[in-house]
Amino acid sequence: MNKPTTTARGVYTIPEERRIGGKAHLALVTRRNAAERRFRAYGIAALGLSLLFLVTLFVTIIGNGASAFRQTYVKLDVNFAADVLDPDGKRDPATLGSANYLTLVRNTLRSQLPDTEGRAALREAQGLISSAANYQLREMVLADPLLVGQTRPVWVLASALVDATLKGGIDRNLPESDRKISDRQLGWLDKLAAEGRIERRFNSVLFTAGDSREPEQAGIWGAVMGSFYTMVVTLALSFPIGVAAAIYLEEFAPRNRWTDLIEVNINNLAAVPSIVYGLLGLAVFINWFGLPRSAPLVGGLVLTLMTLPVIIIASRAALTSVPPSIREAALGMGASKMQTVTHHVLPLALPGMLTGAIIGMSRALGETAPLLMIGMVAFIVDVPTGFTSHATVLPVQIYLWADSPERAFVERTSAAILVLLGFMVAMNALAVILRKRFERRW
Amino acid sequence: MNTAIAQQRAIHQEPVMAAHPQDLAFNATEPAPEGHRTVGLVTVDNPKMSARDVNVHYGDKHAIKHVTIDIGTNEVIAFIGPSGCGKSTFLRCLNRMNDTIDGCRVSGEITLDGHDIYARDLDVVQLRARVGMVFQKPNPFPKSIFDNVAYGPRIHGMVSSKSELEDLVQWALEKAGLWNEVKDRLHQPGTGLSGGQQQRLCIARAISVSPEVILMDEPCSALDPIATAKIEELIDELRANFSIVIVTHSMQQAARVSQRTAYFHLGDLIEVGETEQIFTNPVHKLTEGYITGRFG
Amino acid sequence: MTVSTEGHTVKRYDQQLGNLRSLVLEMGGLVEDQITRAVQALQDEDLVAAREVVARDHVVNGFDVRADEEVVNLLALRQPVGSDLRLILSMAKTVTDLERIGDEAEKIARMTARMYDGTNIPHAKLLRDVASMAKLAVAMLHGALDALARMDVATALAIAKGDDELDGEFQSSLRRLATFMMEDPRTIGHAIDAIFIIKALERIGDHSKNIAEYVVYLVKGKDVRHVKKEQLTMDDLDS
Repeated sequence: MNKPTTTARGVYTIPEERRIGGKAHLALVTRRNAAERRFRAYGIAALGLSLLFLVTLFVTIIGNGASAFRQTYVKLDVNFAADVLDPDGKRDPATLGSANYLTLVRNTLRSQLPDTEGRAALREAQGLISSAANYQLREMVLADPLLVGQTRPVWVLASALVDATLKGGIDRNLPESDRKISDRQLGWLDKLAAEGRIERRFNSVLFTAGDSREPEQAGIWGAVMGSFYTMVVTLALSFPIGVAAAIYLEEFAPRNRWTDLIEVNINNLAAVPSIVYGLLGLAVFINWFGLPRSAPLVGGLVLTLMTLPVIIIASRAALTSVPPSIREAALGMGASKMQTVTHHVLPLALPGMLTGAIIGMSRALGETAPLLMIGMVAFIVDVPTGFTSHATVLPVQIYLWADSPERAFVERTSAAILVLLGFMVAMNALAVILRKRFERRW
Repeated sequence: MNTAIAQQRAIHQEPVMAAHPQDLAFNATEPAPEGHRTVGLVTVDNPKMSARDVNVHYGDKHAIKHVTIDIGTNEVIAFIGPSGCGKSTFLRCLNRMNDTIDGCRVSGEITLDGHDIYARDLDVVQLRARVGMVFQKPNPFPKSIFDNVAYGPRIHGMVSSKSELEDLVQWALEKAGLWNEVKDRLHQPGTGLSGGQQQRLCIARAISVSPEVILMDEPCSALDPIATAKIEELIDELRANFSIVIVTHSMQQAARVSQRTAYFHLGDLIEVGETEQIFTNPVHKLTEGYITGRFG
Repeated sequence: MTVSTEGHTVKRYDQQLGNLRSLVLEMGGLVEDQITRAVQALQDEDLVAAREVVARDHVVNGFDVRADEEVVNLLALRQPVGSDLRLILSMAKTVTDLERIGDEAEKIARMTARMYDGTNIPHAKLLRDVASMAKLAVAMLHGALDALARMDVATALAIAKGDDELDGEFQSSLRRLATFMMEDPRTIGHAIDAIFIIKALERIGDHSKNIAEYVVYLVKGKDVRHVKKEQLTMDDLDS
């Protein structure tokens, strides 16, 4: 055991206990193994914690938002009374269009529900039905004027109050003065429910309507379209510009102080708080160029500014990861610089570039702050139809709804968040799929 | 008794080395003194390429010092020398691959068939088609075997029809001794071949544009002995049509494939000579020290 | 990165080359001793000493085998080039020549044993030239081995040129023996033995010359065999 170890310089003997298998060595091994176990435990704990947060987030949002996908409808037997709608009997669309449908609704309610005498009672009865019912009836009459004079059962949108009550958002057992819904209204509701006149259906309004002050009439379609137009502008500008900039910097630009400076600045830009881009957009695009406020065009321009550094950095990384031997091979064959890039480097770097672009886009999709600065935070009911119409975007819509006092907006906020998350997941999945597809070619 | 006899004779202990008047001025840790002149057969009768007093600087570093050498027609010339001696750098001057490196300056004159390749009006793209290159690591394009070989003829517009291109690809692959191994899978990726096959694919790619000179930068350093032997045999066959310059770390390889050998040392071209002479009786002490393994 | 003055980066290689050299030089010493003794035995008419020389030839052969083995191993394992290659080749060839010289020494000893075995003692005049030729031959061998040990090209060249002198001696000795034989046919038997002996000495000179030529090749890388040596100078070897 004590045989000396010969080195070039002489003889060196490691003490018995420090050799492999010696006492000191065994203690060292024990400590080392313990350290390794500890480290693994930290890792698992960190992972568990983040998973816990994620699960909490999803559970809360889904728990809050799931109910928003269903909406309460009430069946009323509506008498399309001719004297209200068309007193002169000409069936003139103009007359029909401007008729007082509110009266029609009131009459219907009066006939349908007991105990509706007096203004206060009638107003309470009216509170069961969404104001959208007026428009719904008008649309029916305009579509089919023959309805006038007839009585038809019609499913109308219930008010947010009713919806919330039936979904359990309002506690019936509270004293009347502490809840928004009155005892009389509850009585009517029970009666309607007993007659089978209350039904919950898929909330198509949420996906087709624009914003509204009335929760039951508010939808995200306007915001989705706003986001879509904004993203089209962002993608159309940031991807080509970013990729071109990255290719120039990585493949063509000489390495000198200027390019170093540019590189540092691009990296810094990626770290600039996004609201600064909003200020820039406000100053440059709106105040100086005179582009319209609240427009997806300006939003897209601002988000382009914000996304560009991300895309440039990702694209450069993708270009750097292309082995230099490929460039050498192409140059050695007598390919020009441009041919080398377009024939060999770009195809290999493209998956990485696309991934970077999509990740940049999904960041842009979730961005709120800079858009607040350029007026995309406005309350806009109409669904935008172009790049210059007034619009808002999904995250801003979420912000607006989260800010609204009505109880029914809580579930809609969560529902909108779910939709936004769905888009994000879809985009990230697309990034992964694209990368896999392109990389699998060889 | 026998040892007693041997002891009568004082044994000369110094290593046996050729004694040459100019050797003694040399210390191997330092570059050759100013005005050092390369020993041996620097020039040939019918040069394909000629380098005259070539200097290369990388920033402040003087990487190649006053190198003068001819590359003969249909000749295999090997560049040997320790790492960092400038042999690869010099090789890359011959088809201006150094142009792509920032801060690299080349002075002196290099001619191909008597024309200066660093002349202003010379198209470097055309030069690289005439002076092909094979790299240390096999670097086929991530495309099919066919496309790898067809790339050069395509970008240089050397073929006018698909059938012509197919013939050319077959010729190049046959010349590179790869045709029989890949003819049934021409449209599979070139990166799927073995290392030796990849390197032969790279050689096929290089000869597809019918260059006049092929530069090989340690073409076998990543290959096993069998693949190496195939490449060496290939080099010997290609000599009939091309001039070949090969940089190698393996002295045995230089000895096996080349007709002339040039020894570089810290940027100086120390000695050039017939390969037989370099490996049996090198003139310069540094060459001798390197080839016999006395560098420590 | 320096040219090591101590030798190869691989120390074991140096050791093997050194082994080969000392083996050959040792063999040279032994062979030289064999000739000296064989010639001495002849002059002293010492049968015992002559038989000793004959008996010791197998030691020389043993050296031959061992040296060849070393050479084969070096060639196979080290792929020598340059001066190492020349050294190994010279050693291999030197060994062959030394072995032959050993055989010649043995031959002289056998002749001695045969000539002085019976009652018919050869006449002294028959062996008159042996002494001077033996001196020349031993000197040549000694010089060649010294040149080999010291890598001394000048000496080697002188030895290579000196062979002509021994050849001349041999020719004149041969003529003299022919005269004896014509004068007195009874001497023919012993004269033939004497011819064998001087022939052996002449061969030793040739082998020594070969060894000297190997030294030139080893140090200068120039093959000087089958070249007229009279005009050859040191300057020619450097060019």
